[in-house]
Amino acid sequence: MASLVEARGVTKTFGSLRAVDNVSFDIEKGRIMGLIGPNGAGKTTLLKALLGLTDCEGSLSVLGLDPFRQRRELMQNICFIADVAVLPRWLRVNQLLDFVEAVHPGFTRKRAEQLLGETRIPARAKVRELSKGMVTQLHLSIITAVDAKLLVLDEPTLGLDIIFRKEFYRNLLNDYFDDERTILITTHQVEEIENLLTDVMFINNGRIVLDASMESLPERYVELLTSGEAVERAREMKPIFEREVFGKKVLTFEDVSRTSLESLGEIRTPDIADLFVAKVKGEAA
Amino acid sequence: MIGTQLALVKREVWEHRSLYVVPAVLALVVTLTTITGQVAVSSFGQQIDIAILGASNLGETERSAALNVFMLSMSWIFVLTMGIMTTFYALDALYAERKDKSILFWRSLPVTDAETVVSKLLTAVVLIPAVTFAVIAATHLLVLVISSAWISMRGAEGWSMIWSAVPLFDNWMATLISLIALSIWVSPFVGWFLFVSAFAKRSPFLFAFLPLIVLPMLERILIGSNVFFETMVSRAPFAVPIIKSFSEDSLDFDSEEQLLELAQSGVSLLSVIDVGRFLSSPGVWLGLVVCGVFSAAAIYVRRYRDES
Repeated sequence: MASLVEARGVTKTFGSLRAVDNVSFDIEKGRIMGLIGPNGAGKTTLLKALLGLTDCEGSLSVLGLDPFRQRRELMQNICFIADVAVLPRWLRVNQLLDFVEAVHPGFTRKRAEQLLGETRIPARAKVRELSKGMVTQLHLSIITAVDAKLLVLDEPTLGLDIIFRKEFYRNLLNDYFDDERTILITTHQVEEIENLLTDVMFINNGRIVLDASMESLPERYVELLTSGEAVERAREMKPIFEREVFGKKVLTFEDVSRTSLESLGEIRTPDIADLFVAKVKGEAA
Repeated sequence: MIGTQLALVKREVWEHRSLYVVPAVLALVVTLTTITGQVAVSSFGQQIDIAILGASNLGETERSAALNVFMLSMSWIFVLTMGIMTTFYALDALYAERKDKSILFWRSLPVTDAETVVSKLLTAVVLIPAVTFAVIAATHLLVLVISSAWISMRGAEGWSMIWSAVPLFDNWMATLISLIALSIWVSPFVGWFLFVSAFAKRSPFLFAFLPLIVLPMLERILIGSNVFFETMVSRAPFAVPIIKSFSEDSLDFDSEEQLLELAQSGVSLLSVIDVGRFLSSPGVWLGLVVCGVFSAAAIYVRRYRDES
């Protein structure tokens, strides 16, 4: 079967700014893809294109549909939570359930009620009476009860405290995710989702600078901690990025074998945040 | 399709509670005013009793006409309120969801922009008039019951006096037809308001009314004509072409024959309503087209404008 998401040469320009610049990638079914990029990298624009909220050049297919032209069909099989897509404050929890039940063919009310029963959200409360964490819980409960093939999360835990954040991701994995479902997620708090992801994609200045599965990262990327004259020898092996931690040099290498570096110092696999900085800053250098 | 529309219209009522709260409060005020008025005039004891006695001696036709006018005098305030409500509702309908940033949530559900805008149009031109009509009828009944009881308390046959003569069917049918005609007649304004509420970045109210004031002034100054202004006036809510138009000489009230005819009809409201004139008025159909164009523009803006 074809990929769930298939992007070929997707480009979106605003005037002279190329917010998304000739981007191509695939997302397979049953994966959890992290889309990571600095502010203004084009993340949100790319997500909007995927959700059919904005038109773009190139070819883009989501669940075999053209997202911009077949939005209604698309929205039956996609859910999204975005920090900018807030629930209306005047709405009551039970009204929200009534409404989604009426318009969404894939929604199972019982499931949503069961999930909400596990929270402290009262059924007749208005959204404005709930804390920000509860609103996110509510939104996630609704979405978990929708039989959607793809879930798009854009900074879903922004502004939440650590307890709600942890719980959000735990619920996401336990209640929502299975082999039939796919998640695309963007966030600044990379550390928190790192062990959740199966794939990762870095985007910078509208271009994809890394698109890899998490398993492949240790094979391709390695960090070397070293000092003294070993640094010079290591530099000859063309690190993509170099930084200093407590007087030691940390050099990041791409596609350099571990065995050739082992003699130069301590080696380890970079975490996503460090790798991200290395790729983005290294590219700029 | 219909299920989605119902859910969407219900959604509008949840959000805009004033759509039923305002008419309900108004109904209460009108009813209370009637009671207060009756209590107040009670101090004129004897005169009132004589007046009631006089009324009971009147023929049914006269009483019927008086009741019709009485009911009409209650209805107009609801119709006026309906106009204000429709204006505020339509200007808010597509603006509030952008202001409170919930638009992306609504758009994350499998509902098209066209369905959403149509539901808001239906709320403005069908639901609001329907609620208005229901509240008018309920207020009529309530006030008539209270009046019957009051007259009975004063020793007259209040119930039979009122209920044998009250022209409920005539009054309500005429009101219903007029309300339907009125909402069709003002639909181009509703379309314009919906478009503004989808389009305006801020203060949709100003955005909606400023052009209606500035454009005629500009036209007057630059071109020296009054076409825009005259079109607006001819399009005003009170100019809805639903009342039978009397030709020049038939308006001549010197002709006693005509006055007599009018009086004998018991001033039936239905008899002065002219659906044919309404349906054959090109302005009505043109207005619907204008409403459609503005609504389509509102759909387009909601669909294609990238907000962030």
